[in-house]
This record gives sequence, structure tokens and C-alpha cells, in this order.
Amino acid sequence: MTVNGNKVSHEAEDRTLLVEFLRDTLGLTGTHVGCDTSQCGCCTVHVDGRAVKSCTMLVGQANGAQVRTIEGMAEGERLHPVQQAFTECHALQCGFCTPGMIMAVAGLLQDNPSPSDEDIIHGLEGNLCRCTGYINIVKAVKQASKTIGGA
Amino acid sequence: MAAAFKGRREDRRLVSGGGRYTADWNLPGQLHAAFLRSDRPHARIVAIDAQAALAAPGVVAVLTGEDTLAEGIRNAPPMLPYPGRGGQPIKLPPRSVLATGRVSHIGQEVAMVVATTALAAADAVERISIEYSDLPAVIDAEAALAPGAPLAHPEVPGNVCFDFDYGDEARVKEIFAGAARITRVKLDSQRICGVPMEPKACLASYDAQQGVYDFWSSTQGITMMRGSVAGYGIAPDKVRPRAQDVGGGFGIRSGAYPEYIAVMIAAKKTGRPVKWVGSRSETFVSDHHGRAIRLSGELAMDEDGHFLAARYEWVCNQGAFPSGPGPLINTVTPKLTPNGVYRIPAVYGRNRLVLTNTTPITAYRGAGRPDAAYLLERLVEEAARESGIDRVELRRRNLIPKDAFPYTTPTQSAYDSGDYEALLDEVLARSDWEGFEARRAEARARGRLRGIGCAVFLEPAGGAGPKDQAMLKFGSSGEMTLYSVTGPSGQGHETVFPEVVGRELGVPPELITLRASDPDGPPLDGFGTVGSRSMGAHGGAALLAAREVVRKGLELAAKELEVAAQDLEFAGGRFRVKGTDRSLALVELARRHAGKGAVHPLDATADNAAGATFPSGAHVAEVEIDPRTGAVEVARYTGVDDCGVVVNHTLVEGQVQGGIVQGAGQVLGEHCVFDEGGQLLTGSFMDYAMPHAGLIGELRLYDHPVPSPRNPLGVKGVGESGTTGSLPTLMNAILDALRPAGVRQLDMPATPARVWAALRAAAGARQPPRG
Ligand code: FES
Ligand code: FES
Repeated sequence: MTVNGNKVSHEAEDRTLLVEFLRDTLGLTGTHVGCDTSQCGCCTVHVDGRAVKSCTMLVGQANGAQVRTIEGMAEGERLHPVQQAFTECHALQCGFCTPGMIMAVAGLLQDNPSPSDEDIIHGLEGNLCRCTGYINIVKAVKQASKTIGGA
Repeated sequence: MAAAFKGRREDRRLVSGGGRYTADWNLPGQLHAAFLRSDRPHARIVAIDAQAALAAPGVVAVLTGEDTLAEGIRNAPPMLPYPGRGGQPIKLPPRSVLATGRVSHIGQEVAMVVATTALAAADAVERISIEYSDLPAVIDAEAALAPGAPLAHPEVPGNVCFDFDYGDEARVKEIFAGAARITRVKLDSQRICGVPMEPKACLASYDAQQGVYDFWSSTQGITMMRGSVAGYGIAPDKVRPRAQDVGGGFGIRSGAYPEYIAVMIAAKKTGRPVKWVGSRSETFVSDHHGRAIRLSGELAMDEDGHFLAARYEWVCNQGAFPSGPGPLINTVTPKLTPNGVYRIPAVYGRNRLVLTNTTPITAYRGAGRPDAAYLLERLVEEAARESGIDRVELRRRNLIPKDAFPYTTPTQSAYDSGDYEALLDEVLARSDWEGFEARRAEARARGRLRGIGCAVFLEPAGGAGPKDQAMLKFGSSGEMTLYSVTGPSGQGHETVFPEVVGRELGVPPELITLRASDPDGPPLDGFGTVGSRSMGAHGGAALLAAREVVRKGLELAAKELEVAAQDLEFAGGRFRVKGTDRSLALVELARRHAGKGAVHPLDATADNAAGATFPSGAHVAEVEIDPRTGAVEVARYTGVDDCGVVVNHTLVEGQVQGGIVQGAGQVLGEHCVFDEGGQLLTGSFMDYAMPHAGLIGELRLYDHPVPSPRNPLGVKGVGESGTTGSLPTLMNAILDALRPAGVRQLDMPATPARVWAALRAAAGARQPPRG
């Protein structure tokens, strides 16, 4: 598969999850594991351009796929607009949910560049945050939508 | 005017995947641990056979309770520096890191497998065979008080491990006997799971030569972690606690869990680093829980609605073992603020701590404060309804006036400062309280029940510990490292502590780097990041250290500028000869003196003895209920908060937002449930109702600072006040919405099922079936 633009090729046990492969084999620890029931969204990455919870996929299912993780979002020094908006809106505190949130939001905005409040809330249903109360996360989604839309 | 918020200094790494949480650390040659946990609430361990597990592929060791006892690991005692009622000390049941003799709750750690991979360890756990003989279990705290109830531990007769009281029992009794009006409520502050998004994990290595452990885990501060480990019998100087990023603390990450100690022992025994990463299911059952208190209260008033006395009774479920902070937060915390923001001349409270066969209880955001505020504000609300006095007017009539500070409570705790009536006035105006009835009517026309509720509250914050230290060390080009024993988990200390120092020294904050709880840094005294204390205690120490730099700088600059120190003044980062334009920048002075020895002459350490502060607030919530489904929607929430001087508005607001929504989680859905057989029914995100985006849509917050005289910055605590305020505010609003439909009492969580059932029951009571 291709991860953040780099071709990678490894043997892995059948039962290895994509998230385990990213974290343990490739050392991409920006993708987090927050649950064992596919509900927290901390592990969200993009597979072939779509936001996916990487704990719900076996690594074999991603064979040959284009995978993008949080480590691949910035272009050099330049943060992705969603990363930038999270930073400027104080949409993160401990930061544990943040990589998954950012990947989910980037996916959401790709599908729906100007989401309504309801769309945003619905789009974040699969991502949990314990620290922020989501207030500033929603704000960040709106800001990012403006930046992306205006670009 | 503060500059626009551009983001925190910790954010760059955290938004880029560069954060390093416990599970992200690995050491060469590390082994992996997995735990066998009790699947029954109370049982005698008849036999454990680990032979098959030991023989499994990749397994290096299996540890049981006997191994931990052989290592000299002992029961970690709770923090409780005072006796209970009648001078009685707390009764402690025996507890070992891995169970010995019997298990006392579902999820208790029984044995540990150490293997070359995490999967091998988990597989081998399945191969440990264990024989139990079940014992009768007790789950509910009130049931545990009943005569003849099963005992959670034979060592604690009656299941009460600590009986505590405060106030003047006789006087309160006398006042109640003669009072014109008495209001009573009985409430449940249900068991909550803290749920930091980072599951519980740790990594230990052991240096046999020095006898020292390096230990990675989520922590709320190095001194707290060392103190907690010391409780188990491992000397504090034998542990180097390490952490870079911590994925949420909320009180439940303040101490060392049994797993941590077991992993440390395993690292010592195997001679290799050992790592353990708990699953969410394990974290749900074994992270210590919060709240779990039955609250009863009585308020006596005169004919005109003046409060005369209050009496409280708390029955606190402590789970199977008293945790480190559990007994403290359930006794001294309510005693510190028994009258809240009101003048109540006499109080009496009795708090019984009860052992049951459930997961232990510890501090969880608020740690006794939300419970106290909830009880008092529900009492006041109920008293208003019963007396017919307007609920705002009743509060106003009894508020402590702003010229009464320092105000001493009937339990001798001294409030620092406040202006409660101003908070109330502001929140009423900002929330358009007066215009509410029109909104209620408009909602009614849509078939919705709309309600409004308010709470005026305060809480104790900070204090704890004689002093906190901070140290500023200069580098080679004028840059500084700030050392402190805080244990941040998202509060933004890396950003705001340098801001405190930078402002005082007139230099950009980027010149200062915080190293929090660094085991390789200078040894510093202080307590961790708990109890909403960091800015007052550690921030204050950082400010004093900066002032010490200026003091030393004046001497040094005087020599450089060849004048007397008293002829110099310091402003805007420069030492200036008074009345001239001759000056020397602090940074330049620091550069000139760099590299002349191990210690820079401007290096400074300061001690800060910060006292307790009493942040307060007035909050208003409006909710709408769909009577057909029982679903509660928070339509708006307005908060006016006095958390003293605000150092960084954005970060303070973030704390309050998070706190309010965490409280809303408890009000609207979160509930950690054990069934009668002691099984945890809410062991995953499928059953445990976490707050989601949109739980509170419109949240408007306003600062109303009244400086505190108890610390050099004038700040008050802010980490927990949002939670303390939102419990009573939201429940008062929900009951206000339900009252017209005949519902007078409802316990948290106000889930759709409960609200719907309450509405049905009230409707049934109003219209008895015909015939
Ligand atoms: S780890 Fe929670 S959804 Fe994947
Ligand atoms: S920022 Fe801590 S969980 Fe979202």
C-alpha cells in the first residue's frame, strides 16, 4: 500500500488491524486507539480518499490502497486548513482525539464543503472528545469550511 | 487588550500526529503484559493454575498476588490526615496489587502474563485456570447499610469504612425544631466513568544497578505519581515518572493503579522493559469511577425565606477499596463550602463511606464539588417552590454580600473574594431571564415543554500542600527553561506558564520553555495538577521566580551600568538608569553572563504558598423536552464565571466549556451501572452514553473576575467550576420544564426513557383511570 505518498510493503499476521499496522509496524503513532468497539473515531485515517476508522479494517483489506494519516496532512511547514482551524479555534485540549477528529473533518468537508450546523454535528457523531465539549471543534469545522471554500 | 488567539505551543505537534502518549513509547527488548481480571464480584480464590499459560508460546512470566507480596508491595493507604466521627480512623480492608485470597469486584486484577507480544500475552491469559468459590456480594451503598447486608470485606463490619461529620449537630437540631419552613430533598449523584480518551497504559524499565524504575504513564504530576507509588512501598526516589502528552486526566489519572505496580515488578523480575496498553473495556471496568453518592439535604427557613440552618447526609459508595483521594474528596470537600454562596448560620453534615463489591471510586472532575452544589441548589429551588417565593428573589435574599469577605463559613473555612449578586444580575440579563415566559409559550405551541433554570454556586479550588516551587534556568543566549511539577493533560501549561513569566520579564513567551514534571530536572516541591490548583500554585510560583530574576538582575545590571541598584528600574524587559535613556536588556544581561559556570547568576527558584480559592459562577440553562419521546435538548446555556484574574481567556473558556459539557454528560446520559449481581452493564461506548457533538449547541460564557488575594496572580481555580455549575443548572431547568406536567422529582441522568416514564407516571397520577 501507499502511506502518505510512500510505498510500503510488509508481511503481517492475518488478524492485524490497519491501525496496528500503522502504529506498530510503520511507527505512525499519530493515529490513536481509543476504544475496542469502533465508536471513538480516534483511529480515523483516509483510505483511497475516504475517512475510515482504521480499527475496523484488517490490514489485508487495505492491500494496495492509498492511505493517508495525520502525519501526511501538512505540506511541509504548511498545515492543512483543518489542522490550522483546530489550532486557531482552540479545538483541542489533550489532543488525543485530535488526529482522528481532523481526519474525520477533512473527510466531511471533502464530501460536503459547506456543511450546516446539523451536518457538522451529524458528521462528528462517530468521534468522541472528552475535553472540549465539542464547542470549539464545531467552530473549527466552520472556519475550515470557509478557508477551503475560499481557496 | 489581549492579542488574537493563534493557537497553543503544544498544538503544532498535537495536530500533526507528533504527540506522544503512553502507548506511543517503546523500549528495545520490551515485553508485553496482559491481565487476568476477576469475572465475579465477590469470591474466594480456591486455586490458580498458571502452568498452561507459562507453557504458551512467547510467555516469559506469570505473576500472581503472592509474587507481589513477596516483593514487599503493600496496601496503598488513602490520603486522610484526620479521623472521623468520635475520633475513629478509617477501616482499611487488605488490598494487594494482584488479588490474594479473594476477589472483591468485577475487573479486579488477579494475575498478569508477560510475553514477547501483546497478542501472545492476551492469548495466554485465557489459559490460566482459576477456581473460585462465590461469596455473597453487596453492590448498592444504601443496601450495604441495611442490617444483615452481606459484607464486602469481613474486616469492615457494617460496610462503613469511614464515618465523618462536621458542623454543630445540636444547634442545627434546635433551629430545625423551631423553623417556620423546612424543605427536604433526596438525590442521586450517579456513578460516572471518567473516560479520558487515552485508555489506561504504562511502560516500565528497571535499572538494576541503581535500583531505579523509569516509568511512563498518564500522570497528573511527578510528585503525585511518586507519592502514590510510595504508598505501595516503592521509595519515591526509586521512580522516574515520565510523560510527554497525557490524553486526559480529570482526577482519575492522579495516582498509580495496581496495574502500574505489577508492570514495574515484572520489569524488575524479567530484567526487560514491560509495556501494558489497556483496552477500553478494561479501562471502563478498572479505571476508578467517580461520584456514586446518595445525597440528602434539609434546609430550614424563617417565614420570610431567610435561611437558618442546613443538614446534609451523604452515603458515598467507595467501591471495593478506598482509593487514594476517595475518602478525602467525600468528606473535607463538602465541609469546606457547606453553605455555598449563601449565609446559612448553622450547618451539620454526616458522610458515610461505604464499601461494596464494585470498582473503587476516586476524584472525577469536581470531586465532591458538583455533588455539594447540586444538593444545595436543588434544595434552594425546592424551597422556593414550596414557599411560593420567587426562585431568583429567594437566592438574592440569602446571598453573601460582596463586602463580607473574607467570609468564614460555620465550618471555619474562609472564602477569599466574590460578588455573587453581580454574577446573578449579569447572568439574568445575558440570558434574558425576564423574557423567558414568551419562549415557554412559543415552545408549548410547538408541543414542547420548555424550562429555564439557574444556579449560583461556588467551589473550593487550589490549596493542598504547603508550597509549590518553580525554577527558571537560563541558557546560553538568554532563553529560559521553566521547571515545575505540574502534570498537564490538555490545559495548555506549555503556553500559559511561559506567558506568565514572559509578561513579568517583558520578553516574548517563546523565549521560555516549560518542562513540567521532568524527572531529570531539578528536584522541586509541590503537588500536581489536581483540584483546579495549577495556575494559582504553580503559575504563582513561576511569577515569583520571574520576580526573583528581576531582583538578581538589578544587582547584576547595576554592576554592568556602574550605578547603584536602587538607581535602576525594570520595565519592558530592560534595566534602566532612572531618568536617563541608559539601559540594558535582560536578555543581553543574561547572554553576557552565560557559560560562566553550571549555575547562571540569574537562575532563580521561588516558593509559592498559595491558599485555597473559591471560584464562583451564576449559570442559566434553557431546555426543551419532547413529551412524546422524553428527549431533552439544551436550547441555550449562559454562564457568568468568577475565576479570578484571567491570564489567558481562550484557555479559561476552553476549561469552562469542557467542564460544563462534562457535567451535561452526567445530567443527560452518563451512568455507570452495575447490575444486582455486580456485573458492569456499561462496559463500552455502546452502553455508556458519552456526550457527543451538539449536546450543548449554544453556549455563551462571560468572565466576571474578582481577584483572589490568595496567590500572586489573583487567579482562582477554573478546571472544575463548569462541571460544578452545570449539574444544578441543567437539572433545575429540566424540572422547570417538567413541573407544569406534574413531575416534581427526577434523578440524573435525565435520559429520554426516564423523562418519558416520569411524564407518564405524572399523567397517570393526575387522571386516575375511570371506573
Ligand atoms: S479505536 Fe475507537 S473507533 Fe477505532
Ligand atoms: S482534546 Fe482531549 S479528547 Fe479531545
